[in-house]
Amino acid sequence: MSQTVIEVSGLKKQYRSSVGRSLITALDGIDFAVREGELFGLLGPNGAGKTTAVKILLDLTRPTAGEARISGLPAGNPESRRRVGYLPEGHKIPSYLTARQALAIFGKMSGMDDVTIKRRSLELLEKLRIAQWIDVRVKKYSKGMTQRLGLAIALLHSPHVLLLDEPTDGVDPVGRREIRDILRAEAAANGTAVLLNSHLLSEIELTCDHVAVLRSGKVAAAGSIEELTRHATQYKLVPAAPVDDSLVAAFRESGAGVERVNGHMLLTVDDVPHLNALIDKLRASGGLLAELSPVRSTLEDVFVDLVRAVDPGAQPAVEGGPR
Amino acid sequence: MKVLMANIEDVMREAAARWTLVAYFFLSTIFIIIFASAINLDIVDGALAGAKLFGKQVEVSGSMSIEKLVMGFESGFSGVLYVLCTFLAIFATAHLVPRMQEKGTIDLYLSRPVSRVKLILSRYIAGLILAGSNVLYLIGSIWVIVAWKTHVLHPRFFLAGGVILFLIATLLAFAFLIGVVTSSTAVSIMATYGVFFFGVMLAGHARIEAALSKEWQAASIKFLYWIMPKTAELATAVVAYVGGPQMHNEFLKITPAPFISTGIFGFVCLILASWLFQRKEF
Repeated sequence: MSQTVIEVSGLKKQYRSSVGRSLITALDGIDFAVREGELFGLLGPNGAGKTTAVKILLDLTRPTAGEARISGLPAGNPESRRRVGYLPEGHKIPSYLTARQALAIFGKMSGMDDVTIKRRSLELLEKLRIAQWIDVRVKKYSKGMTQRLGLAIALLHSPHVLLLDEPTDGVDPVGRREIRDILRAEAAANGTAVLLNSHLLSEIELTCDHVAVLRSGKVAAAGSIEELTRHATQYKLVPAAPVDDSLVAAFRESGAGVERVNGHMLLTVDDVPHLNALIDKLRASGGLLAELSPVRSTLEDVFVDLVRAVDPGAQPAVEGGPR
Repeated sequence: MKVLMANIEDVMREAAARWTLVAYFFLSTIFIIIFASAINLDIVDGALAGAKLFGKQVEVSGSMSIEKLVMGFESGFSGVLYVLCTFLAIFATAHLVPRMQEKGTIDLYLSRPVSRVKLILSRYIAGLILAGSNVLYLIGSIWVIVAWKTHVLHPRFFLAGGVILFLIATLLAFAFLIGVVTSSTAVSIMATYGVFFFGVMLAGHARIEAALSKEWQAASIKFLYWIMPKTAELATAVVAYVGGPQMHNEFLKITPAPFISTGIFGFVCLILASWLFQRKEF
């Protein structure tokens, strides 16, 4: 049984606005947990509190109430960050440093020795395809290259927990796939728990096993991608031969919703016994079943539905939370 | 120790890459070159027969020994170095906290397994090493030039370096405090220079107090005098220490009080800077 490495419980954060001094609730008692080897996505519209949650985990900001723990240690304890790699959104690696120097400085700050820093630096820069730029100053780097270097810094000390804020921002599609592969490999091989903040829902969908959707500082939905994207009551039924109208009418009479789409049917049923009763009807009429599968929506559909459930005018675009 | 080494490396690399280090040592070198070429001494049998400053003949009393001239010269010059080194040091190091606190950069530093107090103190020590290396360069070079031209070795000159570094440490602590609060390099530099000059003004606190009509105003000036760094008194101490008791009557009048109150000011600033940095939310 894998262990929980990131635990967030009842986390609340309130700010005073600089203008008017009104109270702003960035997080309103959220709970989530990430286990080792798990790729966990944190989603939410602008100001939902995603970045605030990550900042609390790193003790960059403090909670008003609740608790955040990494590897069993409170987030306020510097030791909790011993095996944490962090890639902040819009990070600024000192531009006067080369990749080699930046990795050396941040590696030392993580308590690494020179030999390991040197070995890991080359290994990671090779993997991220920027090894040839190792002695070039960061100010000469493109956005995508800076992002790759940021990821190398986060991975340098072989962290047990990776907190990534928009890790593929500015990276080309091939690079995005490579980063996804690296994250998956880290999680699988080393049991690294990955917490991913991204506004690219497709990216989250392709990378993560579990997600939590934040809305107005609360967890609006959480679970595996499969759980969230599956419409429990809708199924795609592909018959071996066209179904006649009388059978469709019988389906409708039973209370099922039926929609014919390009030779298959979308069935909306009450529950699984209802679905089985419809299949029995099909078989009894001499029809054969070629395919039956639950209908899934994309993560974006789920996300937009959740956001609009509160604010019908809300835009689905999601970026960082309050700073 | 690794954190300290990482911070020293970071500070030195930044200073080198941003030309701060080059400008810092370039200005100091120009100063040393001007100094070396400006002074021409004519020494006969260990006594000064004549001296030229910027090509012009300087009147020298017939009985002045070369040792005394060197002592007097280095003593006076240490006052100039006191101001020069302090100003250059603040200019070269006041950015250390504001730059680190920039959005996107601070996250990278604070996500390491290092306490914030350790981080800011490591940076403070790194800044002092940068400033100290320049002080050593200036004082050492001038000492070597004087020794080369006069064959007189006057180790008291290095006392100036100690006092200058003490003042830099105090003012850098204040610059760090302002940097933590405002995240602004410009404000840090201006405020620190302000403290330097305010300290000089407060040296005349007795006269200011006498000129004030209300008692509470005089008491406030006295209070400020005792809490602010004693920049004027330390300047006097530098000159007197380098000259020694035979050169300066002031030497015997120097008490530890200006050093103690200046040290307390710096220490309190450093504690406050660390405390505020520890509490700050990013």
